Amino acid sequence: MNDTSGTIAESAADPFLDASREGRLLAAECRACLHLFLPFGPVCPRCWSINIGQRELSGAGEVATFTVYRQSYHPDFSVPYVLALIALVEGPRMISNVIDCAPELVRIGMPVTVRFVPRGDLVLPLFAPDSSPTRNPEPQGENP
Amino acid sequence: MPRKAVIAGIGHTVFGRLEGRSVRDLEIEAIRMAVADAGFARADIDGLITDPGPAQPVIEGIEPHYLGLGRQLGIDPDFVGTEVLGGASSVSSVQRAVMAIEAGLCSVCLCVYGDTALSASGSFSYGRGAEAVFGFFGATGLHALAAQRHMARYGTRPEHLAEVAMAARANALRTPHAQLKRPLDLDGYLASRMLAEPLRRADCCLISDGAAAVVVCAADRLADLATPAINVLAMGQAHSLSTIANADHFDQTPAARCGPATLARAGITAADVDVALLYDCFTIVVLMQLEAYGFCQPGESGPFVTGGRIAPGGELALNPTGGLMAEGYGGGMLHVIEAVRQLRGTAGARQIAGARLALVSGHGLGMNTHASLVLGG
Ligand SMILES: [Zn+2]
Repeated sequence: MNDTSGTIAESAADPFLDASREGRLLAAECRACLHLFLPFGPVCPRCWSINIGQRELSGAGEVATFTVYRQSYHPDFSVPYVLALIALVEGPRMISNVIDCAPELVRIGMPVTVRFVPRGDLVLPLFAPDSSPTRNPEPQGENP
Repeated sequence: MPRKAVIAGIGHTVFGRLEGRSVRDLEIEAIRMAVADAGFARADIDGLITDPGPAQPVIEGIEPHYLGLGRQLGIDPDFVGTEVLGGASSVSSVQRAVMAIEAGLCSVCLCVYGDTALSASGSFSYGRGAEAVFGFFGATGLHALAAQRHMARYGTRPEHLAEVAMAARANALRTPHAQLKRPLDLDGYLASRMLAEPLRRADCCLISDGAAAVVVCAADRLADLATPAINVLAMGQAHSLSTIANADHFDQTPAARCGPATLARAGITAADVDVALLYDCFTIVVLMQLEAYGFCQPGESGPFVTGGRIAPGGELALNPTGGLMAEGYGGGMLHVIEAVRQLRGTAGARQIAGARLALVSGHGLGMNTHASLVLGG
């Protein structure tokens, strides 16, 4: 069941990945209510309008949550690596990876910016910290 | 005249690695036990709802799961179905049986979970949709995203997750049929292999072969029953299908809506629950449900479970069998069965004295589905 091929093929037709190949981060934009959303789809999930366009995003966001994989589940992914939910400043959220950062320094709330990185036949929007994360790490909660 | 449905029979196989046994063989063993337990016979069964486990196909070609099982059983029921709510499917199968009986569509309905996930080839490290290109694999990584949020927002610590795992292992020691009868202490928990931070192997449920069945019947068939029936006092479901687009998807499960609504329908609060059978695929899911159902305030589940409060003899009787983490992965049907045993007073060494009200929950897929039952003796 360690198979990503079907999903890659499926998403290859996505305008999101086409834009990513050109170094642009794209979201779907509802022409009726201006809601920005990901992934792309034929209807606005907020108002159900089918008048859907596109908008280029800044690529800035923050880590909403993350995990460091220590167990490898697929030969293409060597551990450790950081899987994260990125909250983009314009609103949409997406799963991606945090790169150019030691896994133990990743924090929720950490500001990140998109980096376009080739992976297989795709170019994926991954995210790197805005500044060196060692300088001002957000403290983890403490509770006795 | 509206009919009332009750739970009349329970049955299950052993759980563990059962090499050489087919899922059908296991399902039929559990069904025969449950039907006999209820005092019914093959001819009484007029409803069949199946809950195929994670390694079983819901539909094979064009053949839905209930059809293959029903053909083997040689029955022509008045009502059928196969549940597709992931880990909430056992609870929802019982709900569907109750609804069908109360609507008059059938009278004696089987709810059956079965799987051979442990001895089957393959693994559960499946890619999570289009996001597999980012290395998003398996259920552990997904629930780790929720656990990390809980830790950052509330100061929840590995020691809090450990309390859930340790309590499950301690409970299983009093469960003769438990798959994992090996105590776990904090050092053992912390030494457990990290899979996806902050979740370790010890935070995860078991993988099992086995089957479990429940018979739901119309109360007007009560005269037929061998043992006292268990009443279904309230049912509920809530789901979150918008997933990560939803800003709080990893902050709470749909239990946050399902829990309070279901308890309110029963006219009770969490404090009235004598025994809680909470779906425990991962330690963090137990903590989140304790908050969602109101056993403690939001964010306080870590301190709430500290000091053995959910361990055997603790303040809250939670998953007395050891649940998915130590009894065995029974979908959620073993949770329903343990609720019935506790309410019948037949749970042996782990019996909660005077248990009158039981809560059973199911949680499924990518934190998308939730279902709950309040049962009374
Ligand atoms: Zn819209």
